[in-house]
Parts: sequence; structure tokens; C-alpha cells
Amino acid sequence: MSEVILRTQQLTKKYKKDIALDHVSMTVRKGEIYGLIGQNGAGKSTLIRLVTGLAFPTSGTIELFGHNEKKAYTDALKRIGAMIEHPAIYPNMSAVENLEVHRLQKGIPGKECISETLEIVGLSKTGKKKAKNFSLGMKQRLGIAIALLSDPEFLILDEPTNGLDPMGIVEIRELIKTLNREKGITVLISSHILSELSQLATKFGIIHKGKLLEQITAEQLNEKCRQYLKIKVDDPSLGATVIETSLQTTDFEVMNDGVIKLYRYLDDVRTVSKTLTDNGLTIEHLSEEGDDLETYFAKVIGGAFDE
Amino acid sequence: MSNLLRAEIFKLNRNKTFWTLSLFIMVISTFMHFLIVTDWWVMTNSPFEYVGMSDFNALATFIVPLFFNVIVSTLAGFFIATEFSQHSVIKNQIVSGHKRSHIFLAKYIVFTIGSLLVTIVIPLVTAIVVSMIFGHAEFLSTANVEFLSKSYGLFTLPFLSFTLVVLIIAIVTEDSGRTIIFTLLLSAFMFVVEKLVTNSFIKSLYEYTFFYQFTVAFNPALTGKELTQSIIIGTVSFIVLIILGKFIFKRKEIK
Repeated sequence: MSEVILRTQQLTKKYKKDIALDHVSMTVRKGEIYGLIGQNGAGKSTLIRLVTGLAFPTSGTIELFGHNEKKAYTDALKRIGAMIEHPAIYPNMSAVENLEVHRLQKGIPGKECISETLEIVGLSKTGKKKAKNFSLGMKQRLGIAIALLSDPEFLILDEPTNGLDPMGIVEIRELIKTLNREKGITVLISSHILSELSQLATKFGIIHKGKLLEQITAEQLNEKCRQYLKIKVDDPSLGATVIETSLQTTDFEVMNDGVIKLYRYLDDVRTVSKTLTDNGLTIEHLSEEGDDLETYFAKVIGGAFDE
Repeated sequence: MSNLLRAEIFKLNRNKTFWTLSLFIMVISTFMHFLIVTDWWVMTNSPFEYVGMSDFNALATFIVPLFFNVIVSTLAGFFIATEFSQHSVIKNQIVSGHKRSHIFLAKYIVFTIGSLLVTIVIPLVTAIVVSMIFGHAEFLSTANVEFLSKSYGLFTLPFLSFTLVVLIIAIVTEDSGRTIIFTLLLSAFMFVVEKLVTNSFIKSLYEYTFFYQFTVAFNPALTGKELTQSIIIGTVSFIVLIILGKFIFKRKEIK
């Protein structure tokens, strides 16, 4: 098991009568891209605000790099970079000046880190242009640049693709993947856009109405969402034998109700159908089945997933 | 802490409001002093006149609480409060791994330096320069230098508490407009207490606040007891307010 970067235990946040976060226990391990999925108002930002020290938990504990004692926790924050909700930038400063503020604040020696970081996020040619005149995408990139400036071990991004155009979304996604792969940066990213996270995260946390309903790895999720041919024949055991001998695959399951789940031949249904009928079987049902990611998440939260 | 101070100084240096206020005060102070030094305008009953420094009479305008309140609250609004509202850049400071008390102190120190520069240093320097060029250079006497040092020293002490109050208002309201309005309301309230309230208990209570010490600071006939009292009130107010400010900021949830 790799090192635990972030662990919350029974983390709860109440605002008067409202429970924003309800006994959330989650773990982010080194090297993971942890996708926090939930609808708007599910509690994603509250969780991130608690982790980054912007707000205080009502109960429960947070451990960052193994530290949960106040002073050590504050020190551990130096090892993270974060962009929470909106990029926190000074509108009357250029990209370079914005990064200079944060360079000074973090005590990073040498100014070369500024041009390097701007190069990474594609803002190296903005010159003296004030941040207030940046496009939304450029502002998001600048926010990410600020988070990356101190070469963090753990990057926290709350809805980083908000307001970005499709190309911008792809670029940010590729950037995060590159940072994770090449620099080994662990990432916690929240979004309510499922398609965005599904292509990026190696682990998912599904949050709904303040509760963390499930933590699941990308592999487990793919397994659960695997597509198959649902076959119902008059003699399931003969059907299984036919699939094994004639279609030469063992990648199928016979369920208790006699339904056969065949994970191959998804693009060649006619061959399956012909083989079964040629062997004297009557096909009662044959269809392509399986959850897509959105359906799976909708099932977990017990309703339609609202993009 | 030194990193935070450097970052705050960098921000102040690039703050448009700070430079606009500095320029405004410089122009208005130069103009007023020029008018007075060249006898185009006569101001009377200023504390500077009492000690024979009538060239410096215009400085009396800059030590009126309602006047410097506008300056300080405007700076607080656009240097401190906007960090919490506009783009919530305060988030980055909290996440940077610095103690909240250090963040508060760094903001306080740099904000106070900025406020002192705009409301005290610039008017004083322009007064000296204008007096040197067009006046009688009467400020050069030892007695006058002593008076200025003592008065501005005594003025600065409650000023340190005043900037703390304004900083706390900016942090609590998180809005430049509300920072200015609440600060002005507070000053107006204190002005009413000082000038209009006749109740002796409230009067004597008011005299123990740092607000009253702004009036005491430039009293040419200050007794030793009043001097000591002013220093104690200024110091105690500063200590209490700095503890209160740190307490509030440490418990503040950032939106």
C-alpha cells in the first residue's frame, strides 16, 4: 500500500441546522488522481475547504501527510497546491505579478519558477496583460499555475474546468495527467461533470447530500460498468457449452436466473445468435447491456445524475 | 513571517488605491501648505499656531479623525477587504501553510505602514518641504522638532489601534464599501460622543479610549500625567485589539 496523503475520519461540518458534510471518511493515497464526484451542493467544496484549512470541522479528523495536530497540519499545507472554486487571482496584476506574490509568500528562491510554471500552463506569452483582461480559461490556468508554483506533492483542484470550452477542458485534463504521471503529483479533483472525471481519475469518491456513498477505484468501476450481451435461452447449461465450444470463449457468466452474460462478441451479435440457433437453442432474449458511468453513479446516489 | 511581509509589501506597492491616495494627499497637502505659507489662506486655532509653527497649520486638517478615517478606511477597503471578496485571494494565503496569526500580523503591519505613510508622513514631509521652499523654516528650532516628535509619537500610538479596528472591520465585513461605511459610522459615533454628549460618565469613559488620544496628542500644554495616561491608553488599546484581531481571524471561515 502506498503512503496515505490525505485521510479524513468521520468528518462532519454543520452550519446551524444544515449538515454540509456528514461523517465522511476517505483516503487519498500517493500517486492517485482522486475524483470527488457529486451534484452541485453535494458537499465537495465544503470537504475541500475543510482539508485546506479555510473552514473548520464540527467533528471528525483530517490527516494530511500523516499530520493532524494543528501546527504540523499547517506546516503540511506547505506541501500542497490548491485552486478552490474560482481562481484566486489579483485582477490588476499580470500573470507574472500574480505568481510573484505567491512566490514571495511561499519563500521560493529564484524567479525562474515563475516562467517555468507559466510555460507549463501555457501562459508564458501573456506579458503585461492584466489578469482581469484574461479569458475565463486563462484565469483558470493562472489559478492552476498558482497551485503548481511551489512544486506541490498534492494538488487540490475544485471544479478546475468550470467555464472552460471543450478544448480547454481537454488541455487541463492532459495537464493533470502529465503532472501525475511525470511529476508523481497526487491529485484530488472535484467535479459535477462525470465525463470529465471518468477520463482522468484513478479513484472515485461519490458524495451526495454530504455523505460519501462510495469509494471505488477506476478498475473496480470499469468492472462494474462492463458491457455484455444478455442472453436468455431455453437451456442455459447447453447455451454455456455452446458458447465455450463454438464461440471459443470462457469470458461469460451464467447467472442464477439462467441469464448468460457474455462479455465478448459485443460487436458481432449475429454470430452469437446464429451459433446458438444452429445448435438447437431457442433464444428468448438477446441484447447489449451494462451500465455506463452515469447510470452507475445515478444508481449509487439513488436518482438521476444531474450534469 | 518575513515571506508574508515581503508579499504584502509587493501587493501594497502595486495597489492602485494606495498610490491614488498618496498622490491625492500629496497634492492637497502641498496646495494647502502653499496657500498658508504664502498667506493666501489663514487658518487659526490650530495646535501648530500655539507653538509658533503657523506654517504648519494645514497639518491640523490631516489629524482630524473624520478626515484620516476616510483615507484609512478607503485603503482598508481596497487593500484588505477585497482580498476576501473580489477573487478571494485570501484563500491562497491560508493554504500557503502560514499560521493565521502571522498572516494577520503581516497584513496589519503593511496596512499600518501604508496608512501612516498616507496620513502622517506625506502631509508632514510636504509641510516641511513647502515651508523650506516658501516659508520661514521655523520648524528647524529644537523646541519645534521636540513638539512634532512628541505629538506625532503620541498620535501614532492610538493610530496603531485605529488601523487595527479598521483592519478588523475589513476582515469581518469582507467588503470595501461596508468597510468604509462602518469605519465612518464608528468615527461619527465617537465624534458625537466627544462633541455632543454632555453626560459626564460617558464623557469620562470616552476620555479613556484611544479615540480621545488623537485630540490629546497635539495639546501643546500636555502635562506629565496626561502624557503618561495617553501612552498607557494607547498601549493597552493596542494590546487588547491585537489579541482580539488575531482571535477573530484565527476563527474566521473563508468562503
